[in-house]
Amino acid sequence: MLPLDDVRVVDLTHYAMGPFATRVLADYGADVIKIERPGGDPARRLGPFPKDEPHPERSGAFLALNTGKRSIVVDLKDANGRAIVLNLVRDAQIVVESFAPGTLDRLGLGYEALRGVNPRVVLTSVSNFGQTGPYRDWKGTDLTLYGMGGPMISQGDPSREPLKTAGRAPGYQVGYAAALASAVGLTQSERRGRGEHLDVSAFEVLAHSIDSRLGRLLGYQYNGRIVGRAGSGLGVGSGTYPCADGFVLITSGPARLGLTIRMIGREDLLEQPEWATLEARSHPDRVPEFDAYLLPWTLEHTKEEIRAACQKHGVLGGPLNTTADLFVDRNFVERGFFQTVDHPETGPLTYPGYQARFNTEPPLPLRRRAPLLGEHTVEVLRDVLGMAPAEIERLRDAGTIGVREEVRDAVAG
Amino acid sequence: MPSPADERDQPLAGVRILDLTVVWAGPYATMHLADWGAEIIRIESLHHFASFTRGTVARPSQALIDTSATSGMGYPGDRAGEHPWNRSPVFNHHGRNKRSMTLDLTSPEGQEVFERLVAESDGMIENNLPPHAEELGITWERLSGINPRFILMRVPGFGVEGPYRDYRTFGNHMEAIAGHPVIRAYPDLGLDYAPASVPADAASGVGGALAFTLALRQRERTGKGVYVELATAENYVPFLSEFILDYSMNGRVWQQMGNDHWSLAPHNAYPCQGSDRWVTVACRDDAEWEALCGLMGRPALATDPRFLDMTERHAHRRELDAEIATWTREHDAHWIAQQLQARGVAAGVVLHESELLRDRHLDDRGYWQTIEHPETGTQRHVGRLWRASETPHPAARHAPMLGQDNDYVYRDLLGFTDEEIRAFAAAGHIGTEYDSSVP
Repeated sequence: MLPLDDVRVVDLTHYAMGPFATRVLADYGADVIKIERPGGDPARRLGPFPKDEPHPERSGAFLALNTGKRSIVVDLKDANGRAIVLNLVRDAQIVVESFAPGTLDRLGLGYEALRGVNPRVVLTSVSNFGQTGPYRDWKGTDLTLYGMGGPMISQGDPSREPLKTAGRAPGYQVGYAAALASAVGLTQSERRGRGEHLDVSAFEVLAHSIDSRLGRLLGYQYNGRIVGRAGSGLGVGSGTYPCADGFVLITSGPARLGLTIRMIGREDLLEQPEWATLEARSHPDRVPEFDAYLLPWTLEHTKEEIRAACQKHGVLGGPLNTTADLFVDRNFVERGFFQTVDHPETGPLTYPGYQARFNTEPPLPLRRRAPLLGEHTVEVLRDVLGMAPAEIERLRDAGTIGVREEVRDAVAG
Repeated sequence: MPSPADERDQPLAGVRILDLTVVWAGPYATMHLADWGAEIIRIESLHHFASFTRGTVARPSQALIDTSATSGMGYPGDRAGEHPWNRSPVFNHHGRNKRSMTLDLTSPEGQEVFERLVAESDGMIENNLPPHAEELGITWERLSGINPRFILMRVPGFGVEGPYRDYRTFGNHMEAIAGHPVIRAYPDLGLDYAPASVPADAASGVGGALAFTLALRQRERTGKGVYVELATAENYVPFLSEFILDYSMNGRVWQQMGNDHWSLAPHNAYPCQGSDRWVTVACRDDAEWEALCGLMGRPALATDPRFLDMTERHAHRRELDAEIATWTREHDAHWIAQQLQARGVAAGVVLHESELLRDRHLDDRGYWQTIEHPETGTQRHVGRLWRASETPHPAARHAPMLGQDNDYVYRDLLGFTDEEIRAFAAAGHIGTEYDSSVP
């Protein structure tokens, strides 16, 4: 039994933020029915692609974001298409949507309409700025939302532009929050017998970052200091240092400096007044002085040697890995983190594994590949909604639904 | 302060969770669970100070406070006060709604109290170095033996099992091992300029709260306790999925992208009028780029062969950035963002904390919670992670001062007598100040 294997999710999300949420729910066993527009989720056009050749079934972003889901193609501009969605919602516990605010209401699929067919349903709306407020209709991307909400102003070098985080990481944090909201909303719905509408705003989720932002929001109110990218504040023996084959990140600070001193074999320093006490090590002059001891040591050692030395001596530190390094990292490899997932259009590829491990019996199965466009339209309409083959054919001919050809042929035959 | 009715109406009301979390990732997980109604009881020791949980050290010197002032996490008025551990801005943010008890788990009678707490609780979350947690008797075998319906969630950096189980790091190192800083570093500076930050901790907080919520549901369905492990490094790698897939598909390794997008341009933070003022701009198609050129008063740029389509703009993105920066430097960041948004272009000011706190959109949505704290005064705190239409959202209780709920836990919850409580205090379990031996 998996935590959500009795839960159905109607997935009205597209691109990246929302699909990350429903991918997580699918990881934990939910039956996620992804409703794609004719032509498919625009994420199917996002790279990377094998050999950089775009193909709607080979998008690396789409493949990673949609493992474990079923895909049905439904035209929501068509009343019969909207009826299909409402019928799916009748027996679903969760609906997740990521349209521009107001869109769902205009389609006649807003919270009131969903509640009308299923009072217990949880509707999770994930958007850039939330369902209300003066910026409600503003455009947003990972870059602009992270800059506004997240701690971007404190990221990078003081003399340079602030830095974003990599790729779509901010949006995925928002998607993760939407998955949490859905799970807590489900708990509430199951306790009280009625659902609710959850409003997840990317701006607000990113403002929540425990990474610098939360502490600084109170820190500013405590002492009125605007900090910007003034430095890590972690003090002596902290920073990114070059080593024999790359770079390492080490965090010491006055309280933990003794461990670092021992790691680099300079116990003699501990006898000197400048280094013996917490008070002495807190002096700003110690920062450049200690770098002069630490840097020659890092330059003589490799990333893996320094990682092992940090592990042995209890020093907070380790390598700056490249993506290639992850695939051979001992810990990821021995724990079997990465998963190989086969796919008819790409062949087997390596995917990130599950984010948490439960002691369920049986354990979480390996990921199921992302669906082909409309792969499950017939299956879902037939098995979930109990529709007759002739009716499915009629909807297909009218363009209300999209059916993958070989599947349709099997039904028609 | 939430009313009793408000508390009853929270989705996680009636769930009691023991909190042995430290630093950021674990406390951020229990922050969400507390926000949505769970009773979180922090178990803290008067004899051990976990650095970066209630500050860097228990009793910082003024020199240490002064040198760490640039972290933006200083004490009120840059003074530690009598109880510095109650005045840490990070703790006072994520500690809201939680309770604090003190107990020394390294002693036999401490372990007896701990067992009674386990019997009376629904679960526990901890994110200590795995061998250290196990030295304190925190193992699934033991705790599920005490309480068969118990949920234990462990949030190690790299794994409860595996070659790095005794490898102590912070979130920034876990993130570096997960491959993040190499990708996000500046394109034109060495990797020693790579920013060290910890979105991995924020991700573990959300993922941890999610996994625990699902474990509660799993327990209701099976009647049996649940063991969950969420390793911060593994939790973060999926945030970099495109890079993993590209390496798997094409053997490509992305490095030092800075603010670049894989394919879009312009896509950067641009300097504006004033000191440390920046606006981000991301144009996703030709029409948005033409709108930007129009606003800049330079429509001819849109037909410049270097910038004619997305492929050309991306290939010449540094020249493109220079053209845009020449214009942004002459204008106010907020004006640029508003003008671009009015033209349907994604743009935003890179907000300092001071501006975020008075942002009109967040005010309009009633995002902030005002919380009064006995040792720091009244401040604005972030709202809950999301808004729920049918659940009351009263402002939170302030983060607990060290040991403030000892009476509730020892007397009301566990039923110890006055005499026993005095004995626990004399033995160094119960108190509100760290032992004088703690630095």
